[in-house]
Amino acid sequence: MRVLVVYCHPVPESYCAAIRDTALDVLKGRGWDVRLLDLYAENFDPVMSCEARRFYNDRAPDDPALRPHFELLRWAEAILFIYPTWWYGLPAMLKGWFDRVWATDIAFKLPAGKGRITSLMRHVTKVGVITTCGAPTWWSVIVGQPGRKTILRGMRALCATRCRTFFLAHYLMDSSTPKSRAAFLAKVRARLERF
Amino acid sequence: MNILVLYAHPVESSFNAGLHRTIVERLSAAGHVVDDCDLYAEDFDPRLTRAERLGYHDARGPDDAVAGYVERLQRAEAMVLSFPVWNYGYPAILKGFFDRVFLPGVSFKLVDGKVQPTLHNIRKMAAITTYGGSRFRAMLMGDPPRKIVKRMLRATIKPGAPVSYLAHYSMNLSTDETRNAFMARVAATMDAF
Repeated sequence: MRVLVVYCHPVPESYCAAIRDTALDVLKGRGWDVRLLDLYAENFDPVMSCEARRFYNDRAPDDPALRPHFELLRWAEAILFIYPTWWYGLPAMLKGWFDRVWATDIAFKLPAGKGRITSLMRHVTKVGVITTCGAPTWWSVIVGQPGRKTILRGMRALCATRCRTFFLAHYLMDSSTPKSRAAFLAKVRARLERF
Repeated sequence: MNILVLYAHPVESSFNAGLHRTIVERLSAAGHVVDDCDLYAEDFDPRLTRAERLGYHDARGPDDAVAGYVERLQRAEAMVLSFPVWNYGYPAILKGFFDRVFLPGVSFKLVDGKVQPTLHNIRKMAAITTYGGSRFRAMLMGDPPRKIVKRMLRATIKPGAPVSYLAHYSMNLSTDETRNAFMARVAATMDAF
C-alpha cells in the first residue's frame, strides 16, 4: 500500500511530531511504501493567489511549486493526516493545502453546465485523521467537529466510493498528562496496525 | 459602533468583492466606524509560526507581529466576516486569522486547562458567504463554516449577542437574479445592523 502522511505542525519537538514518528514506524513496519509531506518544513504557501482563483474553474494551477504535490496525490492509495486542531478546524497551512492542491483537473473535473463533478481521486481507498484538540469531546461534537468533517466527509467524497476512514483525537490537550499522551500513542499504534 | 470587517477573497472582480463593497458602504452610510480589514490586500500571513506556538500562552509585547491585528480586534464592538467557502471551510488566509490573532488573553483564557471565552467586546456579528455547492450538499458534509460561526464564534463573543449567517449556496449554478437577490438581502441586513 502506498501511503501519504500529511503532517502539519510548526514545532519539530511537539507531541504531534511524536504521533507522526509513531505512525511512520507502524506503517513502515507493515511494509507499506510511505511518503511524508511535512508542510511546515516545506514552508508551503497556503494562500491561493488572485491568478490561481481566476482560472480555478477552468484548469489546473500552473504554479511549479505545486507539481510535486500533484504527483503525491496521484501516487497515494492511502492518506493519513496528522495535525493539531486549532479553533475546531485545520491549521490554516493544511486548509490552504487542500484549497491549492486538491484542484480542478487534479482532484476533480468540473462539468460544463449542470451536473456532478467527476472525481480524479478514486484511487485513494483509505483516509485517516489523527489530531490533538484543546477542547473537550462534548463541546467539539456540538461545534460539529469541523476539521473531521472537512476531511472525512468533504474531501473523502472525492476518494474511492468504499474508502475506509478513521478519526482519532486526543481531546483536552491543555490538561493532558504523560500518561494520557502515552496511552494515546498506544491507540495510534493499534489503529494503524489495522489501517 | 466600531465594526471590524474581515474580508478574504483574492479577486477584485469577484461576487465576494461586490458583497464586501456593499457591506462596507452600507455600514459606513449607517454611521458606523468601519475598520475594513482586507486580508489579501494586507498580505496577511496565516501560518502560525514555531515561535508563536512555543510562546502561545505568554503575554505578547507591542512589537509582536500580530499586535496590530489584536488591537483592531479588541477595539471592535461588532464583527462582519465576508468570505467564500472553499472545501467546506474558510479560505486559509481567514482560518489563519483565528489561529494567529484569537489568542489567550484576547479571545479566551485557560482556567485549569479549560477554555473560557473572553471576546466580550464583540456585541454583534454577521457572516456573509458563498458556497459553490448546494445547501443540501453542505448539510451532508456537516456545513462546518456555518457551525463554526453559529456555535463556536457565538460562544466566544459577548453572551447573548446576535449572530447572523447569510449564505448564497449553489454559486456554480447562480444567475444574475439569484446574485442580485442575495446582494439585496445583504444590503438590507447591513442597513439594519
